[in-house]
Amino acid sequence: MKEFAVFWGCTIQTRFPFIEKSTRIVLESFKLPYRDIDGFTCCPEKSLVNNIDHGAFVVTAARNVALVDELDYDLVSPCTGCVSNLATVKGELRANPREKAEVNKLLKEVGREFKGTSKLQHLVPFFHDTVGVHAIKQKIKKDFTGMRIGIHYGCHMIRPSHALRNDDPLEPRKFDTLITALGAQSLQFMTKMMCCGQGLDRIDEHDRALHFARIKLKELKSLGCDALVLCCPSCFLQFDNNQFLMEKEGEKFGIPVIYFTELLGLAMGYKPEDLGMDLHRVDCTPFIKKWESLSERPPREDAIEDGLNAPGEL
Amino acid sequence: MLEATLNFKLLEQCSKCGACFSICPSCMHIPGYDPRAVIRDILDGNHDKWLSSRHIWQCLECHHCLEICYQHYGFENAMTALRTIAAKKGIHPTQVKRGWEMFVKTSRLGEPALPARKKLGLPEPKASGADEFKKLYAMLKAAREKKENPEGKGSE
Ligand code: SF4
Ligand code: SF4
Repeated sequence: MKEFAVFWGCTIQTRFPFIEKSTRIVLESFKLPYRDIDGFTCCPEKSLVNNIDHGAFVVTAARNVALVDELDYDLVSPCTGCVSNLATVKGELRANPREKAEVNKLLKEVGREFKGTSKLQHLVPFFHDTVGVHAIKQKIKKDFTGMRIGIHYGCHMIRPSHALRNDDPLEPRKFDTLITALGAQSLQFMTKMMCCGQGLDRIDEHDRALHFARIKLKELKSLGCDALVLCCPSCFLQFDNNQFLMEKEGEKFGIPVIYFTELLGLAMGYKPEDLGMDLHRVDCTPFIKKWESLSERPPREDAIEDGLNAPGEL
Repeated sequence: MLEATLNFKLLEQCSKCGACFSICPSCMHIPGYDPRAVIRDILDGNHDKWLSSRHIWQCLECHHCLEICYQHYGFENAMTALRTIAAKKGIHPTQVKRGWEMFVKTSRLGEPALPARKKLGLPEPKASGADEFKKLYAMLKAAREKKENPEGKGSE
């Protein structure tokens, strides 16, 4: 496997260092060749930077990509936004040689060159494609049989598809495959592919952001969902933080929000506290409790076996 | 140099289509949000009508419209273009300005939370590329100015 740099991004390092923790834990235990490198900046965040200055968006992302190009590494990120933004610019520059030349003329002044040769991947498709379900299954100590999970892909894990090319952009499967490989049931629900709506919080429309969160959480609650699993710090902010704020106002959904690496870590035998799950706003204990109670039950085959093997009355 | 663009040919097709309206989350859940009306006005030369509207900022950039679009174009391009023009005129949500200023100053949208990192036993964060970024951004601005003003005229 080729070495890869992890692109943590601003949001995880600023607000959710525990996500970095669980990510490092799983990368370590799979003995993956991940590296921390100097020099990254914000990816940059598209909805902010691109709206104001397209050139700044392109040059900044191209520089970040150039850093991994130079080292002949690939790049993996636990943030959907970062990968999507970097890949968008990489795609734009590869399709547009004149623009690429303009960007490289600037980059040359700081001693860099964008080549666009490194592979940029989000953590979930990376685990699916590069680590593989088979290797994951071998690491499972206790699976999630009987747990009902709602997956939230996060728009930028898979879109824009021309830049990311990692799954079907409207009916993706890879995250589902990973979650079901861990033994859980992946619920199929109406709002599964709906955007989290966190962007609304960034334009001073907090109530509307809550409204978007509410729509999905309501549906999940009605389906008896045990946890919402996702892999994007923005979506995490939206469903954990904002759900908590609604709870404080008396609107309780009680849907724990679990990062992909946390769920994977639990299955591999790590404790919720090792993974930093006690730092979530919405309490994860109901999920853990149910999971533990399920595994205290005798294997489901036992009762049937007993019945089949019982002495006959007739 | 490296400026945003808008493709009118593709927008003409949009005005006859509107398919992505039915998949767009903002169209579904935000009353009054309708990029079809925005596109009509852009094509009629009346885009300025929308510059102070909240709606242009309510596009979530989820790219649903792009993916369902037979042109692989999407409503979002029109919204992005209008946001860019509005921002240049200084019309934008307050948080956008705050975020932008932090980005230009620090090259990031926030600094690593050091005490929390320590508690979690995380390694020191790697050096940021802030200085190099600042240089690069200054050069981009200078290159643009030079393009607009090749002989340095009117730069007093
Ligand atoms: S990117 Fe914007 S316009 Fe397109 S579907 Fe998403 S919210 Fe709607
Ligand atoms: S963006 Fe594409 S799908 Fe949407 S209205 Fe225009 S042509 Fe139709």
